[in-house]
Amino acid sequence: MSGVNLVGVTKMYGQVKALDHVSIDVCEGELLALLGPSGCGKTTLLRCVAGLERPDRGTVEIGEADMTAVPTRDRPIGMVFQNYALFPNLTVRQNIAFPLEVRHRPRRAISARVDELLDLVHLTEQANRYPKQISGGQAQRCALGRALAPNPEVLLLDEPLSALDALVRGRLRDEIRRVQQLVGITAIYVTHDQSEAMAIADRVAVMNSGRVEQIAAPADLYEMPATQFSAKFVGSRNAVELAVRDGRVGIPGSFHIDAPAGSNGHALAFFRPEDVVVSRGDAGRGMEARVELKVFLGATTRLHLVGDADGQPIAIFGDLPSRQARLIDEGETVRVDVDPDHVHAFPI
Amino acid sequence: MAMNAAQAPTAARSGSGRRMSRAAKYLFFGAALAYFCVPMAAVLLYSLATRWTANILPDGYTLQWWQATVADQRIQSAFSTSISLATLTAIIDIAVVVPAAYWSRVRNAGIRPVVEVAAAVPFALPYVVIAFGLMQFSGVVAPQYQGTFVLLVAGHAAIAFPFVYWAVDGAMAAAGIERLSETAEACGASPFQTLRRVVLPNISPGLVTGGLLSFAASFGEFAMAQIIGRGLDTVPLWSAEMIRSYTDTAGSYNRLAVVTLLTFAVLFVLSALVVYWNRGQTVRLLPGGGANTEGVRR
Amino acid sequence: MKMATLSRPYVKIGGLESAGGSASPSPLARMRGWLAAWLPAIPLLLLVSTCLIAPVVVLIWQSFTGMGETGLSLDLWFKVLGQRANQDAIATSLFLAAACATVTLIIGAPLAWMISRMLRGSRAFWLGLLNVAANFGGIGLAFAYMATIGSVGMLTLMVQGLGLPFEAPREGSLPALLMAYEYTNIPLFVLLTIPAMSILRDDWWEAAQVAAATRLVFWRRIGVPILAPFLMAGWLLIFTWTLGIYGIAYGLAGQSGATAVHLITLQIGSALQSDVLFGPGRAAILAVVLMVFATTSLILYRVMLRRAMRWL
Repeated sequence: MSGVNLVGVTKMYGQVKALDHVSIDVCEGELLALLGPSGCGKTTLLRCVAGLERPDRGTVEIGEADMTAVPTRDRPIGMVFQNYALFPNLTVRQNIAFPLEVRHRPRRAISARVDELLDLVHLTEQANRYPKQISGGQAQRCALGRALAPNPEVLLLDEPLSALDALVRGRLRDEIRRVQQLVGITAIYVTHDQSEAMAIADRVAVMNSGRVEQIAAPADLYEMPATQFSAKFVGSRNAVELAVRDGRVGIPGSFHIDAPAGSNGHALAFFRPEDVVVSRGDAGRGMEARVELKVFLGATTRLHLVGDADGQPIAIFGDLPSRQARLIDEGETVRVDVDPDHVHAFPI
Repeated sequence: MAMNAAQAPTAARSGSGRRMSRAAKYLFFGAALAYFCVPMAAVLLYSLATRWTANILPDGYTLQWWQATVADQRIQSAFSTSISLATLTAIIDIAVVVPAAYWSRVRNAGIRPVVEVAAAVPFALPYVVIAFGLMQFSGVVAPQYQGTFVLLVAGHAAIAFPFVYWAVDGAMAAAGIERLSETAEACGASPFQTLRRVVLPNISPGLVTGGLLSFAASFGEFAMAQIIGRGLDTVPLWSAEMIRSYTDTAGSYNRLAVVTLLTFAVLFVLSALVVYWNRGQTVRLLPGGGANTEGVRR
Repeated sequence: MKMATLSRPYVKIGGLESAGGSASPSPLARMRGWLAAWLPAIPLLLLVSTCLIAPVVVLIWQSFTGMGETGLSLDLWFKVLGQRANQDAIATSLFLAAACATVTLIIGAPLAWMISRMLRGSRAFWLGLLNVAANFGGIGLAFAYMATIGSVGMLTLMVQGLGLPFEAPREGSLPALLMAYEYTNIPLFVLLTIPAMSILRDDWWEAAQVAAATRLVFWRRIGVPILAPFLMAGWLLIFTWTLGIYGIAYGLAGQSGATAVHLITLQIGSALQSDVLFGPGRAAILAVVLMVFATTSLILYRVMLRRAMRWL
């Protein structure tokens, strides 16, 4: 087993920079998620590791070996595709056996290895079915088995869950994580879903327009987004533009924090709806705000709040446990407070 | 991703291999292009030649055949017969197919299998066979129509209707015509309003494609014209007479060359329109699905 | 589902219907329901039944009765199928159709593959070109063939001009017909198979590469097995199609007079024009023979397509 080192990988499509000097080290046995919106270059980066794309500049190393010029078929990788890419004319068993047969392994060894993999991905019963005859989740497990069959050093997963429905998605996500840890293989996992990335990865690399914005463990990313983009992408729904006064920014009656370095008159403050504290009557503290709308979401209820910051209306989302929110009416005036530790401000 | 399908299979090959296969590809397509164009060039030269004996190129060039052919009354009337024949065929086919296809989608699904079997007939059976059968049948039922324009129009409409049906039915499927007409009804539109303001505008690509294809099919059709259109003069019938005139003294081959080019030009315009209307995509499915037929004709 | 109510206007309401009330709707109402369901399709059905179905039925009938004079018999069949020229025509037609379809497959399949992987612009260009060629048939094509590689065609003269001892095949001979037919058959085949080519997904090739397969292995194990039934279906379609070609053959065979090959379609045509005695009867039998071949082939085509779709 070995890690993956990407150094200064750059890829152009005509005038568009799909990848702009991307450097990432994926450690041995680690699962790294590449997270970003569509078109951010995450899939292109994965395909560069696979050798399905050739970077214009930069190097791709797997283990200690430079793989930049090595064709896909000679790279020690396994890959799971977004739409399964199972060969429709081969059964589940034959699909998993395919990479082994191509390598001319002895027949008995192939058979034993395939049995082992069928067991690993729980497809023993469906072994003789054709891809058309199995469900999407089963198809993707078969693809996982096929990718792992030749004992690759690196496993590449390209949005493996995006073609599946929500229920299957969560189960298969945990299943992929289980198998990856069991095998102890280095893995790169492309996704546009932040909760999926957080749930499965050891570290998450947030990508935006061909560049890596931040690489961090899920919890760190969640608590300390390093850039505006990271903050927005990992779910800080509140983005409030605030004026800088005496090197500080804040909401009247609530938090005040140091203005971020480089801010010039205004700053953008991010915080999560669940970190907003809403209280009724005079007892509470914070800024006065009107409840414009209540949206019942099940366990929580989201309040659309409009407050006043020095004559400028500011809109804030606040999540409350639904039982608590029941006591608040639309149109009521409440107090809104945010713990300054949970606010991340960036210069505009 | 900016990756496109055409590049993907070749993305990971070594430079020299890619150059080699690209050269082979250009050669292949060059040959294909020549294959399509050389016969046309030969016909063009023929139409411009004074005399063409044993040299690679004609002995001299002239526009006299073009002038003579365009001025020839018989050719003019053959073209006018063929054009009216093809136009009527297209109009009749659209007029009978659209209601049937529409009804099979919104009211009576039982129409579809019947029409699909019928649409397979001109495919399974050579036009010679159909034409001959039609001649015999009309001899029994309505002998007075034999050899008339009317019978030929009916015959052409019958063999060309599948083109219109597949085009129109495909367009209806693409437009989701069931939903559209339900919506129109829900908005209070009368059936006629629904047809005119909702159905027809939304299937116009299919109408145009189907109309053009049936026009082309009728315009160049020979077997049926020869068998049941005796006494008529269509462009293919005139051409057949010319090609069988073994003595090339009166310049009949040169005039045939002009007419062939004119026919070719008609086809060219028609298929350019078809491709344009379908935005470079292949459109219809053949009986049984899985394949496309862009204007098939014998 | 409005149909259900339309065809069942008779509704039993409580006990108002007397015991004598029949359980089926009145003939008039049933008629009205049927009309509502079928009326818009009637013009088309009329056209199809008079100009396609009835003629075929008449032909089959006549092939057994010989113009209705002798009653049902197989005499005419024996007589016609016993004739050397007709046997020849049947064998040659089948052979020519098979040869044409095979050549078409060999050239057309790679062409279809390449065009299917083109960018939209150039694909539109090729589709347009193919469409014209596929439509260009009949006498015009026969003439274009003569002008190109006929005995005094442009290419013939060019090759001879280079001093090579080249004899163009006679216009009415098999090789000449084959070459002329291919002009429309290959484009037709390509147009028919391009949609099937898009079934082969690019990520299968990528997955195969990841699995360490070479291009050759990919085609042998994945590409060809998936495409083969579609290509076979295309072969059958071209086969059926070629059997029925008349115009090109008529134009070319006319050039060679008596030395021209015999084809079923040509025999039908000439029987109609010359054979006064039992021409129509003979033509009817040959037409039915052609019908049988074409129908069988089209049925096989459908079987093939169903097989092609089994994995998809």
